[in-house]
Amino acid sequence: MGKSDRVSGSFWFLFCLFIIYQSYKLGLGNVYQPGPGFLFFWTGIVVAIMALVVVAQSFRVKPQEEAAEAPAGKRTVTKVILVLVALFIYAALMEYLGFFIVTLLLFFFLLKVIEKKKWWFAAAVSILVTFFSYLIFETALQSQLPKGILGFLRF
Amino acid sequence: MLDILQNVGYGFQVALQPANLMYCFFGVLIGTLVGVLPGLGPAAAIALLLPTTFHVSPVSATIMLAGIFYGAMYGGSTTSILVNIPGEAASVVTCIDGYQMARKGRAGAALGISAFGSFIAGTFSVIALTFVGPFLANIALAFGPPEYFSLMIVGITVLTYLSSGSMLKSLMMAGVGLILSGVGMDTIAGKYRFTFDIPALLDGVGVVPVAMGLFGISEVLLNLETEIKRDLLTTKVKNLFPSVKDWALSIWPIIRGSILGFFLGIIPGGGAVIASFASYAIEKKIAKHPEEFGKGAIQGVAGPEAANNAGAGGSFIPLLTLGIPANPVTAILLGALMIHGLTPGPLLIKDAPDLFWGTIVSMYIGNGMLLVLNLPLIPLWVKVLKVPYFILYPLILLFCLIGAYSLDNNISDVIIMLVFGITGFLMKKYRYDGAPMILALVLGQKLETSLRRALIMSHGDFSVFVTRPISLGFLIIAVLLLIVPIVTGRKKLSTLAEE
Repeated sequence: MGKSDRVSGSFWFLFCLFIIYQSYKLGLGNVYQPGPGFLFFWTGIVVAIMALVVVAQSFRVKPQEEAAEAPAGKRTVTKVILVLVALFIYAALMEYLGFFIVTLLLFFFLLKVIEKKKWWFAAAVSILVTFFSYLIFETALQSQLPKGILGFLRF
Repeated sequence: MLDILQNVGYGFQVALQPANLMYCFFGVLIGTLVGVLPGLGPAAAIALLLPTTFHVSPVSATIMLAGIFYGAMYGGSTTSILVNIPGEAASVVTCIDGYQMARKGRAGAALGISAFGSFIAGTFSVIALTFVGPFLANIALAFGPPEYFSLMIVGITVLTYLSSGSMLKSLMMAGVGLILSGVGMDTIAGKYRFTFDIPALLDGVGVVPVAMGLFGISEVLLNLETEIKRDLLTTKVKNLFPSVKDWALSIWPIIRGSILGFFLGIIPGGGAVIASFASYAIEKKIAKHPEEFGKGAIQGVAGPEAANNAGAGGSFIPLLTLGIPANPVTAILLGALMIHGLTPGPLLIKDAPDLFWGTIVSMYIGNGMLLVLNLPLIPLWVKVLKVPYFILYPLILLFCLIGAYSLDNNISDVIIMLVFGITGFLMKKYRYDGAPMILALVLGQKLETSLRRALIMSHGDFSVFVTRPISLGFLIIAVLLLIVPIVTGRKKLSTLAEE
């Protein structure tokens, strides 16, 4: 875990520097009357030190151990990123378009584009899942899923 | 004694109400299903289903959510044995000998002994919980802010000590969790912290969306990278009732596993996962034929399966009596109870006896249901396993999205969940454990309040943590846990079983 520890350790170190600075701005108070930043200032310092140790330890890793770290294939990385983008778009459009439309689109996208299933299969599963999940969550469990632009239908 | 019998009787009145029986049944059924499905553990499942309990009473909700937890312990063993894929972390060890037994055509005996072992251990831990719970709650009444602070420190240290991977990284994640708990309103100073004027952060970072992200979304993302391969055993599962010889070999491992699991469960930071590893290590050490372990020794299934169930039961004790969760699953349960307007702690027994005793007694009933439910339904669970992953993962994602949205009918939690999905994914890539982060996140506010109260109480004198005996005791344990791995060459309990 040579290089990857260097990357992750450095990240957490920078994260902590940011937290330490922010906590300092919040006010540390004193030990008689600890302020809002008190605990996080000190936690930040401790975690930052640990992050430095992780980075330092990473230099002691032998080269052959490092070679054992298999990099992920390019295709799978694209797949993960595409799914994530789809999820963020789902969240962003959920309240505007409503549960029905976004869920249909998400499922169709995952099955057709990501999993490369036949279009009729993707369409049928998407419709079934959307319908039944709406039935279960909205009707049976009374979750209040967003209706969005289909709100006028009053279903 | 008479008190307790009376209370248990009251618990039965609560748990046997038809609605509560139904929620108990749903809980253990969903729990088993979640246990069977790889890539969806009890922590994520409880987080997902929490919003569905908003319309029922806190008692029914807790009964169902608790059922998911111990139900998952049963379900997880099924996949370990039949497919060599642990349904959840607590049944990782069951794979070692369970799958070997299945390959030798003894899948039935393995499934049977794990169900009976789970039942015995589950029942044992619930009975122990009945007696130890009120006793501990009484002691905890004497705890002041310094004791709570030190106890929470122990809890976090124990979890980092027991969690997988590097202890240093686990401690770091506990620190990050603590920092995350500071996001939102500072209740003592009445000031916003770390919100950066982002509306989604004003209410703080909730433990439930974070758990859904870390344990739900990130699992799916990881599985997208590594195609799950499943060689389902096609042999018919038969002879679920273990033979006399199997019983003779298993009964002591089950008893030892029950006791061990229960006590590891009580310790804040301990729990089902570690109990199963410890039990396997012990059984292997004291077995007459340790060479059989790894080749289908029934003790290697019976012990850990008993231990993980007892551990699940035991971990309700710190949750219900101290208000301190022992592991990520109970951390989410704590979050759930607080959303339902309850404050778990030593006063819970007095303030909400229906919840305390009703939940405990529902666990007796639930364990019985699981035994009856599990053995005949094994063929059904095997069918569930055949659902292809390309159908399963979109469903898991959808349930996460709906679950996060329903928490507050707001997309803030959905965004937080997705962000922590990515964080969890990267954390697993870079080998950081998410469990300490969740625990620290849920304990953070209480930890900070007790620290600040203790310091105000002692007029800024830090010695308050070491001059009070109980607090000192806790801190000594925490320091020992930090020092021991360094002195003894960092051998962690979780690595014992792998040897």
